Amino acid sequence: MDKKVSVKVCLGTTCFVMGSANLQELIELVPRKYGDKVEVTGVPCLGLCSIDWEFSKAPYVKVNDDVIKEATVEKVLKAIEEKLN
Amino acid sequence: MFIDIDCSQMKKYNQNAYGDHFVSKRYPDEARLIAVLSDGLGSGIKANILSCMTATMLLRFIENQQISIKKAAEIVMNSLPVCKVRHISYSTFSAIDVNDDGHAKIVEEGNPEFIWIRNNEVIQPDYEIIQSKTFKNRKMKVYRIDLKLEDRLVFCSDGVTQAGLGSGRMKLGLRREGLIALLKDKLSKNPTISSSELAQYLINQSRNIESDRHPKDDISACVLYFREPRESLIFTGPPYHQSKDAEYAKMFDNFSGKKAICGGTTANLISRELNKAITMDSTISIGKLPSCSHMEGVDLVTEGILTLTKTLEYLETNTTDIDNAAGKLVNFLLDSDCINFMVGAKLNQAHYDPALPVEIEIRKNIVKKIANVLQDKYFKKVSIQYM
Repeated sequence: MDKKVSVKVCLGTTCFVMGSANLQELIELVPRKYGDKVEVTGVPCLGLCSIDWEFSKAPYVKVNDDVIKEATVEKVLKAIEEKLN
Repeated sequence: MFIDIDCSQMKKYNQNAYGDHFVSKRYPDEARLIAVLSDGLGSGIKANILSCMTATMLLRFIENQQISIKKAAEIVMNSLPVCKVRHISYSTFSAIDVNDDGHAKIVEEGNPEFIWIRNNEVIQPDYEIIQSKTFKNRKMKVYRIDLKLEDRLVFCSDGVTQAGLGSGRMKLGLRREGLIALLKDKLSKNPTISSSELAQYLINQSRNIESDRHPKDDISACVLYFREPRESLIFTGPPYHQSKDAEYAKMFDNFSGKKAICGGTTANLISRELNKAITMDSTISIGKLPSCSHMEGVDLVTEGILTLTKTLEYLETNTTDIDNAAGKLVNFLLDSDCINFMVGAKLNQAHYDPALPVEIEIRKNIVKKIANVLQDKYFKKVSIQYM
């Protein structure tokens, strides 16, 4: 059996104001679509904006170990599909 | 001892200004608190101005420590003008100067006598009467009392003791006896009730016995409650020197009162240093704020600046019982008496990117503002440590 895909949505200040608040949809959508193969959680902070700040690519989401910059619901779903296949 | 103090007020029916005025100030360096309640003659704007002037002047006199509270009150008593129409003084007052050891000096002129409750019994303290040299009908009472843990003092304007005057149920009003009965009843049911709740309760009860529930005078009740302080600690922001992380995390861990963390990076830091896991709520945001997370041994974990900014707004506007992270932080703060902030001075440059859709405050400033509101409006003892 495949390993579970983990999706971590950064809820730090920068990511939140840059749009991670809009990723709430994932919390309901993903379990409906993929059941328990994928787990979505918020995390207090991924600590990426302070390293990557010159590029201002928040909000950040981690799908397994891959970082998605300027994350949107579509981008995250695409990344999940890639991991599952 | 911590002195939990609050005052609740209600305007006379159909008036748009409070005719009683309450001021209170803590002096953390001297472990001292001064409070004054003044009742202005008449009601509305006129009474508001008179009581406000009396209360603020008296507070200023006392706090300077050039003269004693007794002397200060005597000067005010002797100099308050007389109303031309009613031939009584422009305002009455009660004032207390008390320290954390429970030594209190109290003066009263014209206001109802304060009530001192210990073990749900009323204590009648001795007092000295000082007659005004300028006005025959004015005299003030001076008390020196020693308070113990769990004691309460209740000051009120005559709007409380005369509530219901002339109505069917209580022809002579609530009076001191009625007020004492209300207090004893409430305290026997809820011995640890906070001062703000008790003051609010007294005000509501006074209004309820007025005919048509329309107060015929301004109503004010001020409660002091002497108890063990409830300590809390808020850790927000990473320390300026990363090498100090472990040291500060240990201080946080060793703190014995209630604890909160405000900040994602800060939560990660504590989690890493103390080896405690973080779990999140199953939502991302509630009411435009990131949701809370949880850590064993920590009472509240929230996001940083946005939550603190909202918390300040709620505190300034008296907004309570909001179901989001800031609402929880407000409850956390208001449930404490002595609040310690540990504020990390490290800045996250990403927060100051002008491209961000909202302006993000500097942590130090926002904490300073919160501390001021907690001190001035909610009478908390606040300390801030930068790290």
